[in-house]
Amino acid sequence: MRQFIAFVTKEAKHIIRDKRTMLMLFGMPVVMMLIFGFAITNDVRNVRTVIVMSNASYATRQAADRLAASEYFTIVKTVATPAEAEQTIRNQQADIAVVFAQDFTEPGHGVQFIVDGADPNMAQLWSNYARAVLMNAEGTAVNSQMLYNPQMKSAYNFVPAIMGMLLMLVCAMMTSISIVREKERGTMEVLLVSPTRPLLIIVAKVVPYLVLAFLILTAILLMSTYVLDVPLHGSLFWIFAISTVYILLALSLGLLVSNVAKTQLAALLLSAMVLLMPIIMLSGMVFPIESMPRILQYVSAIIPTRYYISAMRKLMIMDTGIGQVFRELMILVGMLVILLALSLTKFNKRLE
Amino acid sequence: MVLKYLLRKEFTQIRRNSFLPRLIIVFPIMVMCVMPWVMNMEVKNIVVDVVDNDRSTQSQRLVHEIEANNYFVFHGQQPTYAAALSNIEHSTSDAIVVIPQHYSRDLVLGRTPQVLVAANAVNGTKGSIGSAYLSQVVIARASPSAASVQSQVSTLYLYNKQLDFKRFMIPALFAIVMMLMTGYLPTLNIVGEKEAGTIEQINVTPVSKWTFILAKLIPYWIIAFFVVTVCLLLSWGIYGIVPAGSIALVYLLAMLLALFFSSFGLIVSNYSDTMQQAIFVMWFFVVMLLLLSGLFTPTRSMPYAVYLTTYVNPVSYFIEAMRTVCIRGGDMGSIYHQVLALLGIGLLMSMWAVQSYKKNC
Amino acid sequence: MNAIEVNNLSRRYGKVQALKAVSFSVERGELFGIIGPDGAGKTTLYRILCSLLLPDEGTASVNGYDVVSGMKEIRRRVGYMPGRFSLYQDLTVEENLRFFATLFGTTIEENYDSIKAIYTQIEPFRKRRTGALSGGMKQKLALCCALVHQPSVLFLDEPTTGVDPVSRKEFWEMLSQLKEREMTIVASTPYLDEVRMCERVAFLSEGRIRGIGTPDDILTTFRDTFNPPAIENPEAGTKSNENAIEVKHLVKAFGSFHAVDDISFTVRKGEIFGFLGANGAGKTTAMRMLTGLSQPTDGNGKVAGFDIRTEYEQIKKHIGYMSQKFSLYEDLTVAENISLFAGIYGMDDGEIRRKTSDLLDRLDFSAHRNTLVSSLPLGWKQKLAFSVSIFHDPHVVFLDEPTGGVDPATRRQFWKLIYDAAKQGITVFVTTHYMDEAEYCDRISIMVDGKIKALGTPEELKQKLGQPDMDHVFTFLARQATRCAD
Repeated sequence: MRQFIAFVTKEAKHIIRDKRTMLMLFGMPVVMMLIFGFAITNDVRNVRTVIVMSNASYATRQAADRLAASEYFTIVKTVATPAEAEQTIRNQQADIAVVFAQDFTEPGHGVQFIVDGADPNMAQLWSNYARAVLMNAEGTAVNSQMLYNPQMKSAYNFVPAIMGMLLMLVCAMMTSISIVREKERGTMEVLLVSPTRPLLIIVAKVVPYLVLAFLILTAILLMSTYVLDVPLHGSLFWIFAISTVYILLALSLGLLVSNVAKTQLAALLLSAMVLLMPIIMLSGMVFPIESMPRILQYVSAIIPTRYYISAMRKLMIMDTGIGQVFRELMILVGMLVILLALSLTKFNKRLE
Repeated sequence: MVLKYLLRKEFTQIRRNSFLPRLIIVFPIMVMCVMPWVMNMEVKNIVVDVVDNDRSTQSQRLVHEIEANNYFVFHGQQPTYAAALSNIEHSTSDAIVVIPQHYSRDLVLGRTPQVLVAANAVNGTKGSIGSAYLSQVVIARASPSAASVQSQVSTLYLYNKQLDFKRFMIPALFAIVMMLMTGYLPTLNIVGEKEAGTIEQINVTPVSKWTFILAKLIPYWIIAFFVVTVCLLLSWGIYGIVPAGSIALVYLLAMLLALFFSSFGLIVSNYSDTMQQAIFVMWFFVVMLLLLSGLFTPTRSMPYAVYLTTYVNPVSYFIEAMRTVCIRGGDMGSIYHQVLALLGIGLLMSMWAVQSYKKNC
Repeated sequence: MNAIEVNNLSRRYGKVQALKAVSFSVERGELFGIIGPDGAGKTTLYRILCSLLLPDEGTASVNGYDVVSGMKEIRRRVGYMPGRFSLYQDLTVEENLRFFATLFGTTIEENYDSIKAIYTQIEPFRKRRTGALSGGMKQKLALCCALVHQPSVLFLDEPTTGVDPVSRKEFWEMLSQLKEREMTIVASTPYLDEVRMCERVAFLSEGRIRGIGTPDDILTTFRDTFNPPAIENPEAGTKSNENAIEVKHLVKAFGSFHAVDDISFTVRKGEIFGFLGANGAGKTTAMRMLTGLSQPTDGNGKVAGFDIRTEYEQIKKHIGYMSQKFSLYEDLTVAENISLFAGIYGMDDGEIRRKTSDLLDRLDFSAHRNTLVSSLPLGWKQKLAFSVSIFHDPHVVFLDEPTGGVDPATRRQFWKLIYDAAKQGITVFVTTHYMDEAEYCDRISIMVDGKIKALGTPEELKQKLGQPDMDHVFTFLARQATRCAD
């Protein structure tokens, strides 16, 4: 037991003394949360608009004013011909042009939106919004409801994703690097030759990162509630329970990587290439899985983060019970059992 | 002349490395073959549940309309709103349309019935685009007067008529390729020499710091040039996407970005002692630069304070100019101020880089 | 019963046969030495005995437990200090020691006596981070960590590489004391005086045992390798009066710590100048200032006629440098390395080609022209590195512990190269921990605590201080040190 404590304190000191890594570990979550919470949004805002009208009738003026008054559009220019508007868009001075026909109010002579289609999603959103602003006079037949996220804030979507990514980063990457570091520097030889049981060495190495992961998890949850106003509906117990499964899973992945890698650099690259890249790309964190080609969807099925993020989105944002995330939980537990067994049997008690 | 020997050494070392040549070949191929498929935020296949409380011919007609629409995946009719909501909670559907009782009676009487469209908006973009399309379909059926107004409005999408996400993403991917090839690789190379101790040996020779730095950067610039060419060819070969504007401008922008990334990497390598430190510091800044560059989301949607940072973010200038050239077919006149900004930032950074590299302290 | 029993042990890595049918036995309580050149298979042997590696063929047992099946038992009983024993750089000296003590189920206090002799030297710095210690100090701490527990068998893989003579002596005295407590010790070393401290030694070369016996037997049988005839300095005393290096009141301070504290000396052209000192005395710091890698805090100096403060770029054109860390590119071939450094000094391709062939012929290296440097043995690398550092005929060449970890025969060959260089008029400025090498120098200086405590020819110093040889001169002066880290 004394050895175990000595090990854990030693490991904790490594982490605490490495100022830059510490800054990374705690700075990264904060910065990521702020960036994703505030800066990365698809909100329709400050859309630069050109009005095209050949003669300024009262009705067109009124319509243009309505656009200008809305919080979405900023009118940058008024030109006479669509060609001029197009040039303005090409030079990146405007995003959308609203072309009013000469007799705009007459039936059959309407409005045309010329939209910069470079970004397809935003192009559709802009034209939908513009349509809504111009038409809003009509009593409409549809009562639209945005479930769970009425203000459509991007943070709701990203917070669970950031949790999935950062926990993997901290647990898998940091653990594997710290184990490989001992191999590379030669201290692993001494540790192995000592009377300490190899399993104890590994458990002791992992414990500080486990604690760290929980600290980061708590920090993210606190930030998301108090800074980003993202709700935390579901039961805290289940959020932490599923996170624990996920953290252990990430730690076993880190162990596996440390068995394969010979140098710290290799461990770093391996976890970046094999773990981080697929997670960011294929877990549905930023890019929706259902928009991918079938084959990539199959690949994404073996990425644990996918299930974790999905479970967290349901629990935290959608306020579902444990029943709805049962499938995700079972898959994560299954993966954990396999990976843990694999990493423990693969662990080398001797040098290769 | 000394440069010749140093360059020969760098190329030999790159060639002998077991990992780098493979990375240089595989990375652009992977980026071009996989990323455009993955980085696809296209909203499609919205799964819809319908709750029909009216059960009339009129309401069934609306249901069929939704069912027949290619944009939606019709999931089925649910008896109650609660049952449909439970599907959303299980993530088996994305949106619900609830047709009220007396829907057909209201239509006949000329009143506007209130149809509820509820979409899962955890992913805000998907929720809002999906519900907007659903609304259009419903309005066209349920409120003829509004429908006639709608028909007056048409939308013309410029440059990207099919609203193809790949066309939007591919120019931005060049930024990622340049970042790795001209930012990361030379940085790791220099820090590697520091760790191995061979840099000491170079520091006691009369090699000037300019020569040394150039010898480190030129190979990766050449590689980057080659990689950009490969990427252009791949995007033409696989997706049939060619830059709408001049290819020369694409190369010019890529080289300006290379200037920035190399200088930045050099600065990082001068201030770090181990590869691990260098990788972490680089990663941190690169992620920030990329996320805040408008690569994924429009810069103008950012809060004003954050938007201001795009004025000093070279990646942001690069992506904007690149999209203008590749998608909008812009010429030098359309992008000159981005080019100037990239050049300015690049030169400033390179001055700092050379300044911070010290042979004698 | 023998403590260690090795029968027909073999092990290969891919195509390389690291150990071939090695058999020997070590008695309980014996101090057993393993000697042999770099790459002879020593480390592999240690690892197998510690149960860290599995042998391909043959058996070995330690304290009666088989190294394959008795892994747990063996690990409970042995202590091992690997060649590049690495400490945790971010922990303090004391934390490192305490951690390793706990690891072996003991405490510093319990075993303080067994490490006292060496630990007292580093104890003043026990709160300092290990990463901030000099190389020799780290090695001393590693020794303490290895000795803090009392295993029944102790394996030491070149434990004193890079350690100054005084500390080496203290270390081996400690080993003799441990032996008296019935501890079995197996140690390897490149130093002849240490070999003589062992009871029996085995000479291992290319994976085979060439001989086992008392140190004297082995050293006589393999005289050519271990005790080649001393070489004569061909033309001592005929140096010109021109000064190649002039240093006046040179100081380098890091904060309040004066690593180099007001040193002055001159080196004449064509002289071989030995720059000696204990670990952390400030040798490397001084050398970095002379080679233009670092700016002096105070004082001034001239190398090859150029000021070290202002004209350091000029100096670099006229000096050669070979550092402690091996300084050729491992992933380039022999010829590529030569042509790179020659090109840097402005030679053209034709000249490089001609001089490269000359050099390779002279070194008998022509067959290895296109071999990657990483696959050469250490001794060859160092000869090559030296030849590269004087390839452009510099005025002065600086050598920072050029022969660390190399066997005696190769060191002699190395010094022959140094003499050849001196004959061509190249001034040689060299640091070393081998006192036999100190005798080869024309003049030497001995640095203690950042100051030069003695300066003169080896003979002058021996007479002045009344000591029989350089070893004693050095020990006499270094023991006066009050500080011991840089």
